Amino acid sequence: MNKINYDICIVGSGAGASPVAYTMAKAGAKVLVLEKGPWLTEKEFFKDELAISIHDAYNPKLSDEQHVIEEEYEDEEGNAFWQGEKTSDSGWSWWNGTVVGGSSNFMSGYFHRLKPIDFRLKSEFGAIKGANIVDWPIRYDELEPYYAMVEREVGVSGRVVEHPHQEPRSTDFPYPPVDEVPMSSWIDKAANKIGYHAVPVPRAVLSQPAMGRRSCEYSGYCSSYGCSSGAKGSGRAALLNHAIATGNCTLKPNAKVYKIATDNAGKITGVHYYDAQGRQQSVRAKTYVVACQAVETSRLLLASTGGKFPNGLANNNGQVGKNLLFSAGGTGSGDFIYDQLNEQQVNELKVVGPFVNRALQDWYRIDDKAFTGANAKGQAKGGTIDFLFHQNPIARASGTQWGIDDEGEDKLLWGEELKQSIKQEFTTYKTLRFEVFNDWLPTDDCFVALDDEVTDKWGDPVAKVRIGFHEHDLEVGKYLSVKAEKLLLALGAKNISSSVSSYPSTNLMAGGCRFGNDPKTSVLDKNCQAHEVDNLYVTDGSFMPTGGSVPYTFTIYANAFRVAEHIKQQWLKKA
Amino acid sequence: MKSFFDKNYQTPLWFRKKSDYKSEDPQSRRQFLKSAAGATAIAALPVMPLSAKQQEQSLIQLNKLKKIDPWLTLEATLLHLLPESKSAVSAEVSPGAKSINALAYLYQVVTVQPTEEDEKKFIIKGVGWLNGFAQSQQGKPFVQLSVEQKEVTLRGISNSSAGSNWLSTLLAYIFEAMLAPPAYGGNPDGIGWRWLEHQGGFPLPKAGQRYFELPTRGKAKDQITIREIEPIKSSTRYTNVPLIKRANKA
Repeated sequence: MNKINYDICIVGSGAGASPVAYTMAKAGAKVLVLEKGPWLTEKEFFKDELAISIHDAYNPKLSDEQHVIEEEYEDEEGNAFWQGEKTSDSGWSWWNGTVVGGSSNFMSGYFHRLKPIDFRLKSEFGAIKGANIVDWPIRYDELEPYYAMVEREVGVSGRVVEHPHQEPRSTDFPYPPVDEVPMSSWIDKAANKIGYHAVPVPRAVLSQPAMGRRSCEYSGYCSSYGCSSGAKGSGRAALLNHAIATGNCTLKPNAKVYKIATDNAGKITGVHYYDAQGRQQSVRAKTYVVACQAVETSRLLLASTGGKFPNGLANNNGQVGKNLLFSAGGTGSGDFIYDQLNEQQVNELKVVGPFVNRALQDWYRIDDKAFTGANAKGQAKGGTIDFLFHQNPIARASGTQWGIDDEGEDKLLWGEELKQSIKQEFTTYKTLRFEVFNDWLPTDDCFVALDDEVTDKWGDPVAKVRIGFHEHDLEVGKYLSVKAEKLLLALGAKNISSSVSSYPSTNLMAGGCRFGNDPKTSVLDKNCQAHEVDNLYVTDGSFMPTGGSVPYTFTIYANAFRVAEHIKQQWLKKA
Repeated sequence: MKSFFDKNYQTPLWFRKKSDYKSEDPQSRRQFLKSAAGATAIAALPVMPLSAKQQEQSLIQLNKLKKIDPWLTLEATLLHLLPESKSAVSAEVSPGAKSINALAYLYQVVTVQPTEEDEKKFIIKGVGWLNGFAQSQQGKPFVQLSVEQKEVTLRGISNSSAGSNWLSTLLAYIFEAMLAPPAYGGNPDGIGWRWLEHQGGFPLPKAGQRYFELPTRGKAKDQITIREIEPIKSSTRYTNVPLIKRANKA
């Protein structure tokens, strides 16, 4: 058996993992971080549409590593059944950045906090049939200091404005807002005109150099791109680099953990992983942390069977993988036609580089008796609407090769017709888009299991994800989309449309290892320590029993800092 | 398969997966992909990236190769699909396949980028089918046709699904040649971005930093040594059940 060489071993290196590595390494503990992907730095991130979207180069090939996605169908007699499809067959990747720092390298960095009502969704709005809604075991004010800590340590740029849904804050933003495009002020005016409150979006992007990182350089390509200036607050740039600089943190890239082993007493005996050459290795530590992003965290625990854990580590109550969450909602857009605007307006619209940085949260709590999804009091949990421009040119060109022939049929265009079509697409209008974020209610039909046939390239079972949704999510998403469309109308946009879907947003996932006070209905306690294993913590988004209506990364960071503080106190007591 | 008009032709999965990245809505993309159910996945073959010197040599080689097929016909096709031209409204010259280095880009797609073998074969075989069709209709290979005859010939093949897919594949690579970072061989000095008043990003990758040249991932042992062969379990997954997708959950 190996010696215990580390105080703490962390599986994963993203937003859930890096705060623990940072806190513990700074406290003087010996930290090991195991990350499945390669270790890239600012020097290896480019504004390369082929790498980012067309060839998905920062993620595994689906033929090497994939998922099985289960959807509900009905046969000809009307009987419902669930059937899985391999993502290598569908092409639907569920990876979000398999590199050191994880998906936080590629996030948009909309850092909205959760609001107090998100911590007590059941108490506030009551039960909804078919949804496993519960209150959290902690309150907003217990997490608030850690939101403030993330704003400081990871670096959040923003501006506090009074608005009806502003959550309580103990501090102001440590960095001024990032630069905004001129048309952001159009949104402010239009919102004002129709009684909305356009809120500046807090952004995990440095507006000035700090903490050894450069400021944003405003290339205009941010969302889904890796940051080459270090301004974006990825777990790698903001926290792991500092953790490693202490001399106390060892980071092993290309190390794929496949099992956390336990003895018959249920004590963890080591973490087993494949190294870069595919050799089996193992390592021991006093404390273990799992933070591989929701689906993969549940997969690792389920795969980590042992004498005391026949169904997977910390899973004797069958809760691991259950109540998986995504973000519900949808997308919409409206076009600004240059011909219909004056020269100054067109020039303002054409500015590329700074951010739109506007959101609406007027319906974070819906208070509208006319809303079909509301409870008896006419209330329901609503959500957030964010506005943005897209920049990817190859994606924009694609589609311009299709026209209509004299008989109204689709016709491939080429020659002068094609050139006119491309030129018109790029130079006559600009599309403003919005994204709606609302709660994905937890249900019995949305969970992670192990597939019993499909394995990854190392021979380990892949995660099988059932992606059932609750009808209520669509009602809320549609309600919010209609509100967002009204703003586009007030802005004078044309071709306004939106689409709300029941398909999960695979880049926004949480749940699967709920925290709670009752071991029968939760995997983790309020400190995100496993009820069934003393020295095991889960610090990614898996802990969330309900997801809230904003992107997850900020809350994952804040909670991981909170849990890291608890782990540190435990470690200091023993040391 | 001997021509674009073969009745047995079915659009392969690689084409559906690729042609679909255009869709900006992930949900509609998803619906589209589901319609590809039943097709089998094609494993990509291992790639051996060429060194910088080899690539330089390969471009020199292209100047010789484009005098013979398949590159001779591919160049003529690209030039017809995206001709150089003067704008009707200004003195601006809008770049065509020649100015954006479309042929060199396509050559890199086939020789340098890790493109699926089935796709490469389809691009190359299409040249034979195009020439077969030109010969049967016009009595000459494609490159010897007048502009009008070329137009009629390409319209002719676009009426078959294989022909339409072949032309779509070339058009997709024309877009990449026009709008991808110049390190990939097209878009010299950002000529495509300039024409379309598009602001490219920074920093851009250089040769050696392109998507297929990023640091590699950890390998599994069977990617290095031969693995023990395990008996294959029989599948329990539904395969041939007629499916009706439920719109909503009740």
